[in-house]
Amino acid sequence: MARILARFLVLLLVVSICEAAPLFQPISDSHRSAALELFTLDHGSFKSLEETYEALRTFQILGIEKKPDVTAAACHSISETVGSLSSTPKDLFYALKANSIAECKIHAKASKGIISSLNSAVSGSSSLLDFYYSVGGLVLIKDQSSKDDLQLADAEGVFRSVKAFSQSDGRWRYSSNNLESSAFAAGIALETLAGIVSLASSELDQSLISTLKNDISKLFDSIEKYGDGTLYFDDKLVDGYEYKGPLSATSSVLRGLTAFAAVTTGNIDLPRDKMLGLAKFFLGIGVPGDAKDFFYQIDACACLDSNRVSIPLILSLPAAVLSLTKKDSLKVRVATVLGSNAPPLTVKLVGVFSSVSKDASLVESQELKFDQGSGLHILNDLLEIIDVGSYTFVFEVVLQEPDDEKVYVTGSQTKVPIFVTGLVRIENSEIVVLDSDLGSVESQSKLDLTAKNAVSLSANHLQKMRLSFRLTTPRGLAFKPHQAFLKLRHESKVEHIFVVGNSGKHFEIVLNFLGLVEKFFYLSGKYDMEFTVGDSAMENSFLVAIGYIELDLPQAPEKATRPPLQAIDPYTRYGPKAEITHIFRAPEKRPPQELSLAFLGLTILPLLGFFIGLLRLGVNMKNFPSKPVPAAFAFLFHVGIGAVLLLYVFFWLKLDLFQTLKVLGFLVVFLVFIGHRILSHLAAASAKLKSA
Amino acid sequence: MKSLSFFFFFIFIISVFPFLCFSFNPESPTDRRVLVLLDDFSLKYSHSIFFNSLKSRCLNLEFKLSDDPSLSLQRYGQYLYDALILFCPSTKKFGGSLDLTAVIDFVDSGHDLILAADSTASDLIKNIATECGVDFDEDSSAMVIDHKSYAISGTEGDHSLIVSDDFIQSGAILGKTKIEAPVLFKGIAHSVNSANSLVLKVLSASPSAYSANPESKLLNPPLLTGSAISLVSVVQARNNARIMIAGSLDLFSNRLLRTAVQKAGSQDKYHKSGNEQFVTEISKWVFHERGHLKAVNLRHLRVGETDEPAMYRIKDDLKFSVEIHEWSGKNWEPYVADDVQVQFYMMSSYVLKTLSTNGKGLYLASFKVPDVYGVFQFKVDYHRLGYTSLSLSKQIPVRPFRHNEYERFITTAFPYYGASFTMMAGFFIFSILFLYNK
Repeated sequence: MARILARFLVLLLVVSICEAAPLFQPISDSHRSAALELFTLDHGSFKSLEETYEALRTFQILGIEKKPDVTAAACHSISETVGSLSSTPKDLFYALKANSIAECKIHAKASKGIISSLNSAVSGSSSLLDFYYSVGGLVLIKDQSSKDDLQLADAEGVFRSVKAFSQSDGRWRYSSNNLESSAFAAGIALETLAGIVSLASSELDQSLISTLKNDISKLFDSIEKYGDGTLYFDDKLVDGYEYKGPLSATSSVLRGLTAFAAVTTGNIDLPRDKMLGLAKFFLGIGVPGDAKDFFYQIDACACLDSNRVSIPLILSLPAAVLSLTKKDSLKVRVATVLGSNAPPLTVKLVGVFSSVSKDASLVESQELKFDQGSGLHILNDLLEIIDVGSYTFVFEVVLQEPDDEKVYVTGSQTKVPIFVTGLVRIENSEIVVLDSDLGSVESQSKLDLTAKNAVSLSANHLQKMRLSFRLTTPRGLAFKPHQAFLKLRHESKVEHIFVVGNSGKHFEIVLNFLGLVEKFFYLSGKYDMEFTVGDSAMENSFLVAIGYIELDLPQAPEKATRPPLQAIDPYTRYGPKAEITHIFRAPEKRPPQELSLAFLGLTILPLLGFFIGLLRLGVNMKNFPSKPVPAAFAFLFHVGIGAVLLLYVFFWLKLDLFQTLKVLGFLVVFLVFIGHRILSHLAAASAKLKSA
Repeated sequence: MKSLSFFFFFIFIISVFPFLCFSFNPESPTDRRVLVLLDDFSLKYSHSIFFNSLKSRCLNLEFKLSDDPSLSLQRYGQYLYDALILFCPSTKKFGGSLDLTAVIDFVDSGHDLILAADSTASDLIKNIATECGVDFDEDSSAMVIDHKSYAISGTEGDHSLIVSDDFIQSGAILGKTKIEAPVLFKGIAHSVNSANSLVLKVLSASPSAYSANPESKLLNPPLLTGSAISLVSVVQARNNARIMIAGSLDLFSNRLLRTAVQKAGSQDKYHKSGNEQFVTEISKWVFHERGHLKAVNLRHLRVGETDEPAMYRIKDDLKFSVEIHEWSGKNWEPYVADDVQVQFYMMSSYVLKTLSTNGKGLYLASFKVPDVYGVFQFKVDYHRLGYTSLSLSKQIPVRPFRHNEYERFITTAFPYYGASFTMMAGFFIFSILFLYNK
């Protein structure tokens, strides 16, 4: 139950155009352009003969002139399939089907070969699809070559063996060992049986035909239904493989029914509304986006258009929105599902109901005039008595010829939602700031609501603002638009919306700021004002900026609610960030180079003074040992001291502490040894001198 | 013979085709397996153009009814699908093991979601949207109405079939080609949660729109009005899961995709609405066929060297480079932008520099290491509208000068050196003279 309800809701959405009563449009030019888009060629031909047939058939039904030229390519593959011995009945069937439209020449010898192979296929068939392809192939050959002598040897026997697949509920099975029955198979079976009847050499047993008719009415008893009168067949989804969906199943049943009705005499007893419900199903789908579905839809529509049971007539309106300013007239079109003209009939407008008060009809029942040229039923002067608004029109279609009623089905009354639009007059619009207690006008400005205004007002929380205007319909009556909003927007983007109420034609809203202080979050400052009036019946709906009002509101108490968070603009949120460069620590300040060099010069001065002092003192080297060994030690000692000092210079220039200490270690040992030798020698010498 | 070899080639291609299409590859982020949940299989026909465009892009669609008792998103802890399309607005309860938490977990684990609602939207669908940061109008009978920018139509007069051309300005989300024709919309309004910075309005209503029940009179101001109404929103989660939420299921339908459109008050007529381009482009974004970035080869070098150092010294000059590629749906292509930035970061960014690009996906910058030592990071935080976010970081220590790396010959110190060396020279001479003078 829930499933059905859900489906119903979805279909309503998908299908429906308006809430009240969906209006179905016949197949139109949008289907023609979609057909050319969907059936596209792959390297100059269609992928398979089945697809070729579907494309050609669709183009044929829709009467498309500018179709892609595939006849040569199609004829080539048709003759190839027909001429080949290895072709299966299925291939032959689709080749012949495509040929029924492409009308290529088939060699007489080839056609003889096919007839014999199909005949043997019929007798060897064990499943429904085998029968379908082989019998279907024979019927097509009979039609194409107009061979009246082509007959099925044991038509009645074949008929019975096909009939054996039928189930008690009117559905059929694909083969005797397959337990699942489906409506799709029922359609195929009906088409096959119709083929057998037309191929039969003599009249078949009437009881067989009548049981089959009985089966058909049983099948139609199991039809599924949407709430709006749409009917369709659906197979139970047992496993996904066999399931083809309601569109293919319904289309298949219709094709079978049409074929069967064409070959039998006498009536097939079906409720007339069912064909109308099926028509609504196919028109309600709109334009399918899949080539196969598209073919199913168009083929089914063609069956609905030309069947012997009953041909549904669809009432549609070229325009359901009528404009008073353009002086539109009410036009109604009654056509078959494919859009071809209906037989002579009259369309009656039974009633017009306003969407507001649904009780009484606004106009009396009247007949629409038929315009021969356009094929439309027109009512011209209706709009002179109807004002703007939304209405439900109720139409009734009556066929003029009583004989047509057997052929066509029109359904009972059709309800159509209609919108009548017009220009609404706006007058006396003004905006006023009032003093609260006295009601005296502080500032007043007229507004022109058709253009942008730049009113600047100011008010404090003890004052009021009043906006007022009048709306009248073209017939001078009061008009209540669905949308009449005054919007105040603070600088911080906080918005407040007020609905403008009315009494009759007069609209007025008074904003008492004292009562609104809390709603305005105590935000003082500039408020931009925007005013919107709109309605579906109003052709001049508008949104105008009025200007601004500078509000001076009291300080917010501590517990006041804060204004809501406003969304941040996404473009600013995602931009690159500002670059950051590191600021390095500034190097320490140093004196100028010249100054350092000058002081360097000064440090040499004491050394110079030392040299001068030495010269003055008259130093000599008379104490230098004269013997070679002490002299060598003395020399090495001073070389050692010099080396240590030189090491210090290198330490400054390039060496590090560890290298320096290493070298210094060796030098120190050397110096201690040498120094001890020379110093003890000198000490001994001086002691000897003293003792002497 | 030739036809035979062609036949074998054809068979080979056909047999390889599914692998080409559906083989999972971690290097290609495009979604492959998509579960489509429907209220009714008739949606397969009425929305077939949209589904066919997805199929033609190698997406493997699996259609199921939303109350199918075998519904499950994962088996043995592995997700069976990469993305979920919820075209089942009126579903009150999913079949099988699927529920609100399962859908949210699916998204939380980085998978994508397309959700379409309409005026029959159930609480379940609205709750999923709320979890994603989008709030549908609470009034269940309300629709978006716009008496100024509606589609002129001979059959629909209640102005609930509106047109909008207020798109988000993002080439990543809506493609490089501008959508010329306006988009037709018939459905319900939602607003984006202003506290949520991840959700974006892709298609907004015009200032004159409002959300109300067209059948009944308005007594109170509607909750949602004007440009605050979002018609279609997208979310990109922090894990780069992408979500699209539309207030209209009809937006995707063949009927609106194929309808000619003329906006009220405008003379421009378009033979086809912008819906097809809009839904195709946005679905490419949702399924990661566009706007998906990856960054590879993050490298840094001291200027003049070829190997990546383990450590930098303060005041070193360094070169940083990273390669950024964008997934085009088939292969990785160089990403070109002029706003990729690198940060040299320790507690806060010390250096933030825009990278220069060579136009082939390589981004370069060179800068001097700051004179602060510690453990730094190279950080690339790239968040751009519509693109997946890149957050890369690489840790690198920075040390101060070693003792022998300071300046050695400072002129200012020359007087001190001069004094020492003259002292030493004096000492050398004095030591000789002192010992041997007589």
